[in-house]
Amino acid sequence: MKKTIVTCIVALALSSASFITQAKTPAELNDLEIAHVAYTADVIDIQYAHLALALTSSEQIKKFAKTMIRDHEAVNEQALALLSKLGATAQDNFLSQKLVSDSKEIINELSQLRGKAFDKRYAENELAYHKAVNGLVAGSFIPNIENKEVKALFEAGLRIFKSHENHAAMMVKNLK
Amino acid sequence: MMTSLQLSIASFLMLFITFTGLAQASETNVEEEAKAIEGTAHIIEIRDFVFSPISVEVKAGDTITWTNFDIVPHTATAIDHSWDSGSLKLGESFTYTVTDDMQLDYFCLFHPMMKANLALEK
Ligand SMILES: [Cu+2]
Repeated sequence: MKKTIVTCIVALALSSASFITQAKTPAELNDLEIAHVAYTADVIDIQYAHLALALTSSEQIKKFAKTMIRDHEAVNEQALALLSKLGATAQDNFLSQKLVSDSKEIINELSQLRGKAFDKRYAENELAYHKAVNGLVAGSFIPNIENKEVKALFEAGLRIFKSHENHAAMMVKNLK
Repeated sequence: MMTSLQLSIASFLMLFITFTGLAQASETNVEEEAKAIEGTAHIIEIRDFVFSPISVEVKAGDTITWTNFDIVPHTATAIDHSWDSGSLKLGESFTYTVTDDMQLDYFCLFHPMMKANLALEK
């Protein structure tokens, strides 16, 4: 009986310890979790772009989608190269999971739209998505990243995604 | 007093210095001649989604070399598509020789907000 109680207390202590170290806000993520979020965010935008290539007939949207695939793939290639150089692996976390579940809803919504309605929604989502991710990168990630090389890659990434945000804003305007 | 070994090292060094001096002098001559024949070589960097310098004064016969320093690919493409670098990945370059009738306004096909231009000196 006594033994069981001790085991229970130990188990409880252990689980609460792991609960404490688990990040709950973006600012609490460690470098490897931040890298995972960024990688996931890139993959999601590539998925949106593939959906757009399949569903749009607008040349403007097609060109934009191809640029998203080309650029996000290039950034992820650099990120993987840096991680392997550092001998590290990105770590899954609450924010990556949230991004994935949100993106599933958006893909579901987008895949039911056609023509101008699709183009408009895709462009608006690209603008909102890049804005949100850029906000995270500038506000929560870059100030907290400890590794210098990882930080430099995020700074370069932010400049790229800012240009995507402007590009998306131009597209939204053109589609009005 | 110098030993003969020190002497021979010293004379070898002097010879070496003379030769390098000669080689440098003739290299500069070649460069200058090439410049006179081929015109000026202009360098444009693509960095942080900007062509830099954004405007370059050129004349027919000059060469322009664009180099991409960004992680993502860019292009240098005439607005009427009459000349085009094709996709330039990180570290890749494209060189074009200026002609009198070339299109002077250009942009990046992948990021159409990236615009720049050349000014033709007649
Ligand atoms: Cu570009």
